[in-house]
Amino acid sequence: MISSRFVLKRLLLLVPVLVGVASLVFSILHLSPGDPALTIAGERASEEFVKQVEESLGLNDPIWVQYGRFIADAAQFQFGESFIIQRNTTVREVLVNKLPVTLELAIYGQLIGVFLGIPLGILSAVKQDSITDHLTRIGALAGISVPIFWSGPLLILLFAQVLGVLPTSGRISVLYNVEAIRVTGLVTVDTLIAGEWDMFVSAVRHMILPASVIGVYSMALISRMMRSSMLEVIRQDYIRTARAKGQGAKITVLKHGFRNAMIPVITVIGIQFGGLLGGAVLTETVFAIGGIGTLLVEAIKVGDYPIVQGTVLTFAFLFTLVNLGVDITYSILDPRIEQ
Amino acid sequence: MTAAPDHSADERPPLSEQLGVRLRLVGTALVAGVVVATVSVVAATVLSDPTASVETAFALGSLLFGFGLLGWSGAVALGRGIESMQETLDTQTGWTEPDARRAMARIIGFGLGVMLGTMFVGSVVLGLA
Repeated sequence: MISSRFVLKRLLLLVPVLVGVASLVFSILHLSPGDPALTIAGERASEEFVKQVEESLGLNDPIWVQYGRFIADAAQFQFGESFIIQRNTTVREVLVNKLPVTLELAIYGQLIGVFLGIPLGILSAVKQDSITDHLTRIGALAGISVPIFWSGPLLILLFAQVLGVLPTSGRISVLYNVEAIRVTGLVTVDTLIAGEWDMFVSAVRHMILPASVIGVYSMALISRMMRSSMLEVIRQDYIRTARAKGQGAKITVLKHGFRNAMIPVITVIGIQFGGLLGGAVLTETVFAIGGIGTLLVEAIKVGDYPIVQGTVLTFAFLFTLVNLGVDITYSILDPRIEQ
Repeated sequence: MTAAPDHSADERPPLSEQLGVRLRLVGTALVAGVVVATVSVVAATVLSDPTASVETAFALGSLLFGFGLLGWSGAVALGRGIESMQETLDTQTGWTEPDARRAMARIIGFGLGVMLGTMFVGSVVLGLA
């Protein structure tokens, strides 16, 4: 049972983390070159118009006033309107549209990683130094070593161009209007809720390649971690005792070994998920999926500061939430961690 | 090699003493930050544009403040885990959670000092400019 004190303590830690990230974002944006007012007004704009824009954005106020306003707005998750990428649209609206795209990709990628990585890691540990172990380790090493910008186009070439069984890009076929049935923003879930089977199949087919690309990378790390953790656990005295008492090998590993071996793996899964959110930029670019990662890169390129601030803080918030989940899972697996 | 300190409740000093230590820790760094900010802003104002120098000094202060806050939270959240991991792997580097917290508290104090110093000196400088 998780104590509410433990969860509260972890939740309270979110506050300094988010204030810290907000301060870093604010300072980096102010130290980087470029004038947001000039970016909005355009290089040919008159000096008077640039001053008007500065006034409307509050850039004429002293920097500490801007900092205080920024922290107060960030606490309410209000970053104003996008300057360039989607003019006259609030950052919150932009993020609400884009975040589910990246989340969906990261969730499916992580599911592939977890459901393949954990069994492979256990198999590799139990059958140490066998041909299965060697093949799994080679596969894991290849998964970690092959960069997404190379494996992505290769998979597109094989499955889309040569075999022609999967689509190359996008989230769903252009024949369907997914906005009409939007509920969660996750295409596979929305199509399922609407009971549109053809759309659902199309969404799943579009998701297979990008999710596999990031899933394989995640799987490789998880299986390696699971293998080393399981190897350590199955050498413990209590496992030997369980075997000596006549318990079957499979039950010993799954009942006694698995739970203890999962503790370090949970950390990797948590960190991986945060990494998948940020690392989805490459996958989104390769498969032409317009998610939050691509949005952030675009916003940095064109100097759309409100979008940059909102996106980075969203990433930080999600990352800390995932870590909170990891901490809670820890305390379920090993209640001593709460102490 | 030093073992990780025992955090048992019996060995903890009284609350007022703990508070005093913490205030001294952050306070001295804060004063240092105020002094550094004052000297830098005045020097930069003499040599260059006052607005730009005030903005740069404040942004640098908030950078330190943010870095310190993240480091402090990281030490509080993961410190014990890192200590145990070092013990388990027998790779003790002497890094401890209380030391990390103290170091980060100093950085927070210094950053905050720079921000406050810039704010006070900046108000005067920009008012005169």
